[in-house]
Order: sequence, then C-alpha cells, then structure tokens
Amino acid sequence: MVKEENESPNRPDNTAFTQQRLPAWQPMLSAGIVIPGFVLIGLAFIGIGVALLITSRNIQVLELDYTGTEQNSPCFQCSDPDKQNCVCTLQFSINRLFEGPVFFYYGLSNYFQNYRRYGVSRDDGQLYGDLSYFKEPYDQCEPYRYDRNKRPIVPCGSVVNSLFNDTFRLFQIVNGQQKEVPLDGKGIAWWTDYNIKFRNPTVTPLRNAFNGTVKPLFWPRPAYELDTSDPANNGFINQDFLVWMRRAALPDFRKLYRRITEGDYTNGLPAGNYSLEIAYNYPVLSFNGRKMVVFSNVSWMGGKNEFLGIAYLVIGTLCVVMSVVMLIVYAKFKFPEEE
Amino acid sequence: MLNSAVHAVHVHKQLVLLFIMDKDSAESGLTWQVRANQRCYHKRQQKKSFLGLRWGRCSDNQVRSYKYSVLTFLPMTLFEQFQRAANLYFLFMMALQCVPIISSIQWYISIIPLLLILSVRGVKDLINDMGRRRSDAEVNSRPCDVLISQSFTTLHWKDLCVGDIVRIHKDQTIPADVVLLCSSEPHSLSYVETADIDGETNLKSRQALAVTHDRLTSEPSECLLANFDGVVFCEEPNDGMHAFRGQLHWRGERFLLDIEHLLLRGTVLRNTLMAYGLVIYTGADTKILRNCGKIRAKRTRLEKTLNRVVIGIMVFLLMAVLLLAIGCGVFTSRVMIHKGFLSALVINGDPVYTGFLVYWSYFMLLSPAVPIMLYVTFEMIQTFHSKFINWDLEIYWCQGDCPAQARNTSLCEELGQVEYLLSDKTGTLTQNRLLFRQCCIAGEIYGDSSARAEDIEPMDLTWNPLSRGGLYMWAPTLVERLRAQKCPTVRRFFTALTVCHTVMAQWKDDAPVYQAASPDEEALVSAARELGWVFLSRTRDDMVISEMGVTRHYKLLALVDFTSHRRRMSVLVREPEGALKLYCKGADIVILERLQRDCAHLESTEQALELFSKASLRTLCIAVRSVSETSWEQWSRTLAQAAAMPTFDRNALLEKLHNEMERNLQLLGVTAIEDRLQEGVPETISLLKQAGIKVWVLTGDKKETAVNIGYACKLLDPDTRLLEWQELRQILQSPDPGGHFHKIQQTELWAVEKDKPGVQTAVVLTGPELTDFDQRPEWGAKFMSLARQCQTVLCCRVTPGQKADIVNLVRKHTSSITLSIGDGANDVNMIKTAHIGVGLTGVEGGQAVQSADFSLSRFRFLQKLLLVHGRWSYRRISLFLRYFLFKTCSFALVHLWFGIFNGYSAQSLYETWFIAFYTTFYTSVQIFFVAIFEKDVSAESSLRWPELYKCGQRQELSGPLVLFTSLLYALYASLVLFFIPCGVYYDTAVDYQTMAVTVSMAAVFTANIEIVLLTRHWTKFSIGAVCVSVLLYFICSRITHSKFLFQSSPADYLFYGASDEAFTDPVVWLTALLTAWTAVLPSMTFLTLDVIRTVHAKHKVHSMSHQPVELRTQ
Repeated sequence: MVKEENESPNRPDNTAFTQQRLPAWQPMLSAGIVIPGFVLIGLAFIGIGVALLITSRNIQVLELDYTGTEQNSPCFQCSDPDKQNCVCTLQFSINRLFEGPVFFYYGLSNYFQNYRRYGVSRDDGQLYGDLSYFKEPYDQCEPYRYDRNKRPIVPCGSVVNSLFNDTFRLFQIVNGQQKEVPLDGKGIAWWTDYNIKFRNPTVTPLRNAFNGTVKPLFWPRPAYELDTSDPANNGFINQDFLVWMRRAALPDFRKLYRRITEGDYTNGLPAGNYSLEIAYNYPVLSFNGRKMVVFSNVSWMGGKNEFLGIAYLVIGTLCVVMSVVMLIVYAKFKFPEEE
Repeated sequence: MLNSAVHAVHVHKQLVLLFIMDKDSAESGLTWQVRANQRCYHKRQQKKSFLGLRWGRCSDNQVRSYKYSVLTFLPMTLFEQFQRAANLYFLFMMALQCVPIISSIQWYISIIPLLLILSVRGVKDLINDMGRRRSDAEVNSRPCDVLISQSFTTLHWKDLCVGDIVRIHKDQTIPADVVLLCSSEPHSLSYVETADIDGETNLKSRQALAVTHDRLTSEPSECLLANFDGVVFCEEPNDGMHAFRGQLHWRGERFLLDIEHLLLRGTVLRNTLMAYGLVIYTGADTKILRNCGKIRAKRTRLEKTLNRVVIGIMVFLLMAVLLLAIGCGVFTSRVMIHKGFLSALVINGDPVYTGFLVYWSYFMLLSPAVPIMLYVTFEMIQTFHSKFINWDLEIYWCQGDCPAQARNTSLCEELGQVEYLLSDKTGTLTQNRLLFRQCCIAGEIYGDSSARAEDIEPMDLTWNPLSRGGLYMWAPTLVERLRAQKCPTVRRFFTALTVCHTVMAQWKDDAPVYQAASPDEEALVSAARELGWVFLSRTRDDMVISEMGVTRHYKLLALVDFTSHRRRMSVLVREPEGALKLYCKGADIVILERLQRDCAHLESTEQALELFSKASLRTLCIAVRSVSETSWEQWSRTLAQAAAMPTFDRNALLEKLHNEMERNLQLLGVTAIEDRLQEGVPETISLLKQAGIKVWVLTGDKKETAVNIGYACKLLDPDTRLLEWQELRQILQSPDPGGHFHKIQQTELWAVEKDKPGVQTAVVLTGPELTDFDQRPEWGAKFMSLARQCQTVLCCRVTPGQKADIVNLVRKHTSSITLSIGDGANDVNMIKTAHIGVGLTGVEGGQAVQSADFSLSRFRFLQKLLLVHGRWSYRRISLFLRYFLFKTCSFALVHLWFGIFNGYSAQSLYETWFIAFYTTFYTSVQIFFVAIFEKDVSAESSLRWPELYKCGQRQELSGPLVLFTSLLYALYASLVLFFIPCGVYYDTAVDYQTMAVTVSMAAVFTANIEIVLLTRHWTKFSIGAVCVSVLLYFICSRITHSKFLFQSSPADYLFYGASDEAFTDPVVWLTALLTAWTAVLPSMTFLTLDVIRTVHAKHKVHSMSHQPVELRTQ
C-alpha cells in the first residue's frame, strides 16, 4: 500500500468526503407520504385554530371610546385642546359577571409610536440612571434634548415627552352610590424593565439627582413626582412610565393601565352600572387619533385574538383543500399508467 | 603611448562604424542593439522603477508574477476588491450608516459581512500570491553559466543581462532568448525541445552561423568567446514565436540571423553537450513571456444571469425606496406636521427634506436584499466543486498517475449545461499511440487488422538483439522473407522506412530510443527496428543503419521535409555501394500521381489502400527512385544556386526542383498505421448523445479517416446519410433551408425511418469549404439550424484557426454552452474560444492543458465530468442561488410593508444584531452544505440515465424566469412574514420588540424550512447545520438580549428582556409557526406536486433496480 502511494503521488485520497460518498439519508418522498402529510398538517392547524377561536370567544372584552369627537359623547367638551384639567365621566353597564382578573387597558389608534425618529429619541444611559447623561443627554434626543435656556431635559426625547397622561377612576354604582373600584397599578410593566433596564440614580432624595435639569416640556410634573401617592413609584421606574416607554408595534395599540384584582372585585366585575371618571389631558384630535379604555380578562393566550384562530383555520382548510386537489392530480397521473 | 593612441583611433573607428550601422539597421526596423560582452553598457539600460516611475529600455531577467509586497498588500487588495460593484455598494452603505440622521441601522451591521468578505478574499489572494512568489523565486534562482571576465561563472537566472555570453549544458532550460554562437556538436548544431512552448515533444535543430562556428569553437573557447565583440541588431522584443529578424555585425561584416539561430527561453537543450549563446532578450522581453497574455476571464451563463438579477433587485429597490420616500413626504406633510407628538420630528420642518433623508435610510434598511454574501459564498462553493473534480478517483488515470484538474474554478456549473461538444480527433478520441498494423509490399498484404492489437500473438523476434517490443503485427511470412534477404522490394521498402524520416535516435540500455516530430514516423521507424532494419544514428549528412545485423552508412545528400502543403517527404542518399537513391513517402494521392508509367502492383496496392482505409488505418505510400549521377550534379548546382537567392525566389526554385526530383517513382508499398480509439470512446459518445449533447469532431485529418473514426466511435450509425458540401451548399443557397433539407431527406431512398427525420443525417465539411462561410456570413445561421437537426458534424482538414471559427459559429448562432476538448497545440485556439475548454493530458505535450479550464487524462472521463460533476454542480449552484435570493429578499422586503404602518420612517422590524447575524450565522452554513453535498440522484444513476442531464441544457433550474419566480416567491414570503404577525398584533398590547422577535423567529423558521424542503440528500453535516443554525438563533438572541451586554452598553443592546417575554409567550410561537408555514406553503405545494408527478420515474432512478429501466421521454 505504501509502495503504491509512493508510485503515484498524485493519486487523490480515497475518503468518503473527497469521493462524495458521505453516508446520507435520502428520504424517498412518495404521494403516499406527502398527501396524508398535508392532510395531517391541515387538520392539526384546524385543531389549533378551533382551540384558539374557542379560547378567544370566551374572553370578555369591553371597549369604550372616549375620544369625544361626537357631540353626544360625554367627553365632547374635553376634546377641545384649550381646555385644561377637564374631567369627563363615562357611564356603562355590565350585564353579567365580568370574570377576573380584569385587565384595564387604554388604547390609542392612529398613533405612530413606531415612528423611527420618535423611537430612537431617548437616552438609554439616562434611563439606566447614569448621571453623566443628565448633564449632556444623548444627541438622538433632539429636539427634546435641551430647553430654550440650554438646560438639559431629563428624561429627554420624544417618547418620554409624549407620555400618556390621562388618568382614570372606576366606580361601581351601587344603589346610586359610587363605590370606587380599586385599581392595581403594581407589576404592570415588564420585570426586566422595572428591575434592570430602567434605574433611578442612586441619589436620595431622588429630586437631588435632577438638580440643574428641567422636566420634559409636555409633562406637568418632573419625573420624581410622577406618582404622588407612592414615593417608590417615581422617577424612571414609575410603572405607567415603563409601560409607555415600551413602544407599540403598530399604530393602533393598547397599553395596560391597571389590573382589577383587589377587594370585592377579585372575582371580576359583577353585573351592574359603572362610571369611569377620566382626567382628559392627552390631545389626539390633531392627528385624528382615538382614545379608548378596554376591560378584558385574559386566558393562556393573553387577550382576545380572533385573527390568529381564524388564520389557523384558513391555512388549515387550505392545506386540506390542497391535498384533495393533489389527490386528483395524483389520480390523473396514476390513471394512464394503469391503463 | 603610441600603442594607446592607435587603440584610441581603433576604438573611435569602431564607434563610427557602429553609428553608421546603427542608422542602417534602424531603417530596416532592427532597432534593438545588443553588444556582446558589454555587461556594464546593458546594465545601465535596464528598466528600473522607483515610486511608480519607470525608465530604461530592457527588462532584467527576473520573473515577477506576484502582485503584492508587505507594504502594498493591504491598499492593493482593498483597491481591487472595491472595484467590484457589490463591495463598493456596501462600503457606500456603511458610509451612509455613519450619518446619524439617516442611519436606520447601526454601522456595525454591514461591516460584519463586509469584513468577512474582504478578509476571505484577501486571504485567498494572499495565498495565491505567495504561491506565485515561491514559483517565481524557484525560477529566478535557477543556475546558469555566464561568461564574466574570461571564465564562466554560475549565476542565477535573475542576474542574467542582455549581451551576456552563456553556456548551456545538456538538458538545461534556456534562461533567456539567446542567439546560438556555437555548440559542442559538429557544425554547431543544437537540438531543443519546445514542449513547454508549443507542446511539440520532438526535437528541433538549431544551428549557429557558420562564421561563429568556425571562429569560436577551437579550444579554449572561453578566451575566444570573451573577445567576441559582435553586435547584434534585431527587432524590438515582440511576441512572434516563429519569426526573428536580425543581423550580426562582426569584424566589419554582416550576417543575417533568423529564428533558426535563436534558442528561446523555456525550451530545453537536448542531445547537445554544450551550447554557447549571446543573450538577446531577457525577462519580460522574451518571446515566451510576451506570449503569455492574460487569459480571458470566462464567466458562466449562470453568473451573468445572476448579475442581471442582482442589478434587477437593485433597480427594484431603488424604485421601492423612492416610493417609500414619497410616502414619507406625503405622510410628513399630511399627518406629521399636524401631529402633536410627531410634529417636532419633521426635520427642518420640511417634508421634502425629511423624505429625502428617509430615502437614504430605506436605502440602507433594504440593502440586505442585495445579496453581498452571495458572491463570496458562490466562489467558495465553486472552489469546492472544482476540488471534488480534482479529488475524484474515478476520473484519475492510474497508468499516468494523473488526476483530473479543474484549472478554472469558476466554470463547474457550466459543465452541467453543455449542449455542443467539439472534439479534436487525434489524441482525443484516439490514443495517438500509433501502431504499425499492416503493410502492403509489392501488392501483397502482411498482417491482419481485424483482431485487436492486444490479442495478437507477438512474433518471435529474439533473433533481433535490438528489438524492444511493441510491434502488434502477425506476419511470419514477412519475417521469413526479410531474414532470407531474397526479395529486393521488401528490402527496399524497409530501407525506405529506416532512411526516409527526421527521427533522432538516443541510446538507452543498448537500444535506440526514437524521438520523432510526428508519432507516425516513430511508429514506422520502430516497426522497422523490430523487423531488423534498425536506424542507429544520424549526423548532418550521414545515416547509420543496421540491416539485419549489418551496419551500413548512407550518405545523406538532400532531405526535403514533410509539410502539410507537400504532404510527402523525400531523402536522397548515396548507398554504401555508391548508387544514388531517392526515397519518398507520403499521402497516397500525392505519391500515386508521381509514379512512373506502368508501375507494377499498382492495382493491388490501390485495393490494399481501400482496405486499410476501411479499417480506419492511416496509410502512407512508400516509393523509391534511382537517380543518375548527372541528375544529381545538376540538382546540386541548382541547390547551391538557390542557397544564395532571396527567400521568395529561392522557395519557388526549390519547389520546382523538388517536383523534378520526386518524379518517376517506383511504388514499393503502403504502410498502415492504426491510431487506436481510446478505451470507452464509443460508449462515452453514445452516452453523451443520449444526454442531448451534440458531438462534433474537428480534425486536421483527411475526410475518409475522419468518417471512419466517426463510424468507429458510434458518432455515425451505419445507415447515417452523409451530407457533403455540394448538397449542403445547395441547401444553404436555397431560400428555405429547412424545407429544402426535409425534401432532400424524404426523397432519399435510405431515409427510411420517417418518424425520426434529421437524426439520420450527418454533415461532413472540410477546411477549404469552411472558408466560404467567411464570405457568406448569412450562411452561419442557416447552417446552424441545419446542424441542429443533424446527428453530428464532422469537420476535416481544418486549421487551428478554423477550429476556433467553428466554435465561434456555434456560439454566435445558438445560446448553447459549448465545450471544446483537445490535446494538442492545434486545439488551443478552440479551447480558448469555447465556453469551456478541456485539455487532455496526452502524448502531444501540455499546451492544450495550459490553456484549458479543465484537464482530463482520458476522453471517457468526460462522462463523469459532465453527467455527474457538471450536473450536480449545476443543480447545487442553481439551488444555492435561488435559495440565496429567496432568503435575503424575503427577509429584507418585510420593511416595505412595515413602512406603511410606521409612517414610512425607515423603522427596522428587526433587532440590528439579527440583521447582521441572519445572513452570516442563521442561514449561511446550511445552504453552503446543500451547495456542496446535495445530490438528487447518485453518480451511478446519473450515468445510467443520461436524460437527466437535459435539465441543465434547458436551464430548468436557473433560467431568468426561474430566478424571477424565486424573487416573486420571496416577495410573497415577505408579505406573509409581515402581515400575519401584523394581523395578530394589531390593536393589542403587544410591543414592538415582541413583534420584532416574532417576525425574526418566523424568518429564521422560514429560511430553515425552505432548506429542509430543498435538501434531498441529508448528510450528517446538513442535518447538523440546520439544527445548529436554528439553535444558534435562540442562543444568539438570548445573548444579545442578555443583561450583561445591556449593562455594558445600553444603547446597543436595546432588546434586553424581549426574548425572555417572547419565548415564553404561546402566541408568539403560534404566530411564528403559522407565519413560517404559510410562507413556505407554495414551496411545499410545489414540492408535493413534483413528488406526485414524478414519483414513478424518480423511484426507478433511486431504487437502482438491476434491470435497466427506460426513462426516455417522447
């Protein structure tokens, strides 16, 4: 063998790789496999679709638009942008028990939170509590980086500046009396956002960290006074702030406002009349936007989502239909051979 | 004092003389001046360069084929690489990304692929360059003896200088173009082998001028040579390999120099102990280096289509981006300006300017749709494919220890699309190992060619001590007659064979070994040796021959060599007994018309000729003439007279004289030489024909031989009707060639099989007839449309130039891929002209291989090269291209649709890191493995069902329409990739990052499912690559979304936490799965339909049943 190699130095190596004879699995696809395969996948999809649809149908949703563009809307007078500190009240009734836990969302439409320059206009260093960015915010924050007097805005940027600032109070009307429904605002933001991504500067009291800076132009109060009721819920780790900072994917979106899990409402909202008191601050009419509040309970798949179930059903049905077509084609190809 | 004055005067005189001569020579174009033994003078004239400035006249003798040095590597490789449009495009992208106002993705996103590409290419170029440097250094440091101050010193080649006198030893390679001054042989003859230059392995003689021979050869030569002060005036360096004009001015006299006096660089000195020469041209000025022009880069059809597609994508993108920018402008002016929270973001308050900036942002965002990685991956894949060809043991030739070689690595997939195979005959279809099989002497035939050469029982030749074997002839009667020495015609016949040739003899192991200009001569002289007529040696005017053991000297008076025009050669010798004889051998037509009247055995010889020709043997007629002393005196006078005449007149005179000499010949007999078909040629040709490849044969041989070979190798069927020039001309001249052709076919009696029209016809053309095509260019198209209906086309008597013309004809009038195969220097033109050139490493030296794209050792290896390697390569590369276009476009075009929903703001739908990793990590390895390992059917099945090859000829996998369909499919997939998640997440609380993760997950799934659907041949690598890639997506996502990276740089790793939420959300998974499945649904459906449609046929191919199954489509 050695001798042979010496005699023919140019002889290529005889390995499975060089000779392209690597062991391989060559699946033999046949109509007997692919057509039933198609049917099976189609059926599986239909199954998933049905499950999703049933789950989705079981989710209760109550949507209330309070934009106030219509004359008869209780918030009509508030929609005037010149009106300050306007409060309007929405009355609604629930026919049967709204099973808990009930999630309370606010929804905006035609609101382009995914606009690129809007999205990048933030300073993650600042929001991470890095004091060096308090003096000189990230330049992407323009035009909300410095105020007219060249003082740094903290937190800076478009997203921060446009923080949603309508507030809601929910009352159940029991015997003509308004009984406030407790709203739970804890833990509505992502764990990672609350614990790691956003940090307040380690300065106590917190307001000292903001010395020499100005609040965002649109904000009524500075960051360290976002929640006057709970001192721990202030600065960059304010839950509502965190929810807002997580940008929406599409121009019509909802954001979680509160959860109804406490007191008499642990099992949900009982049937009855309710009134929603809205501190109407956020202007949306300039861009034809809509505002709404949404009450919904959730399942394993989150909120109500009919689209996914229907899409699964459609695609599943398509697969089944196609497999029937294929069967016909198969018969057509096979038929002449049998003749 | 006086002495020096005299010397000064002498020098002055000489200078004046030189000046005058200089002027003289300049007028005749001889402007290159070389002064012997004046090193310093020539050194000053050498080319030098500094900082890009060059001056000086002649090059030094150093080869510099390398491109880079340590300093210039980086700038030069970058410069070269950025000449490619794709790279420049991406550099531009990167520059744009550094402008913060428009950068839609971070700058490092495109630098990763770009750096990868630049470094891969750079390293590849560097390795190649190092190889060149090594080979340069090897050549430059070869030794040669140079005369420096009265003695020879061994210098390196690179130190050689114009004007040097060099000494070349036997078997040394000539280091530069050298004028031969003298040599150790009589008359200063020297023999050189030119195999490296023209591929001819026979020796060529070169002779020094008589004057230098006479005055420089006496001992000691060093001293004489050192005092040699001749000046050579010659042409400027040029690339004419077969012409040289010059004058030697020495001692006040002028001597003409021509190519006969020149030893070219690269040739090897043989059979000559020592030769001395004057260096004329060095280095880059030498004829060989002037000749190695740049090889025209061949680009494959697929590559051209691909380029067009890429440009198409770019144009499409530009338009899409323009629309998006307009959309942005409209959105800005209609919506944003009034929008509370967005109005401040309108740049400069100007919608048009905002739109302009967004234009560039989208330009960048969509740039991943332009497949930059494609080119570099493409090259790597092609390299692997060529390696597979190099590595294949089945096309490795054991006897010659010669593997196949893909010299051009970028043509592999074209091998799978060949439609026209243009083949040389001699040495390609045949072995070019010529065997003396039969002869006819005095009308009597000896030997039998019906049996195969190997089957013939060797004759007992032990009585002949000089026999070396190798005679495949069974003719005991002939041996008997020879040994009895009774029959004078037989003796004359063999004397003619031993005397009338230009073969050189070399002694090895006590027997002569012959080196011949043509293999025919070698076969003849060797056969004569076996039968006892041994040619021992020759000098310029003497030949020594052993006739049955008796050594005899023949004085060589004149030799008229073989030319393709004369087609005969003659020698005039004086026999030892004193008689003058003219021996002549040549083509039958030429000899038969020069015979004396009433020549004996003419009829029987003609019958023998016909018989030999039918057996596909090459024939030569042998004749003799006795010459009287008076005629010889007269002829020698004419010869002497001719020697003094100018070339043109001389040639005319000599031709007349030769005609006079070669007259009144007496026919001795005919030799029949077999040029055997290479093993497996008929099978290969019939297989290739089944694969839909049209095989044409182009040969310099005569028509009869070509046609016979055509029958022998199954190119022509026995009932094939040959369409010759007369008919062809009529058809071509008729206004409707097709109809005329059919009419002719139908009226013919033997075109019985009417159901297969055209198949039974073959065109036979000869070179002179082909020249008509030059005058009638419109015939080309007509001819090709005719040829397409014919079985084959045989072109005989064609010159190398015409071979290339035929290839051009095919290329011009069809869009098919042509492949030329040949082995000799005469095939080089055609090999270079065809889309693919294949050189056979054969008997005729290496020149065909040097200029070929692929080299094989045997013709039959073409089967595997085309039907297996070509087919696989084509399939793999087509799949690769289609997949690559699909994956990049489907992934990038999502942004088009997302733009509608984000105010055309160039918001990316992916995490920036995902964009960088998608093309490099998640989707590249698996397609790479598919492009290397994929096989639809095994090698054996590919050969068993050659019809499978037709798929490549029809471009079924790679046509523009197919690629366009892939793009449409990608567009569909991008729609699905965006709109299904969009539908799911519309008006919900799902945030942007979750959606981004969903879409990217769906994109990775889609790309990988698509790969799974493509792959039919699952090696462990392919399985591993798919699994690892998908896994890698999750791992990389976890990493780039990790706490650690976020904390180190919050602004670069914004997606921290996104995958924590997304990967645990069932809706994300369900959405991604639905999206991926919907995206690949068309591909899946197509695959299933394909399986259903072809399941029976394919099953047969795969299962490899022992009974061959007909797969032919009607």
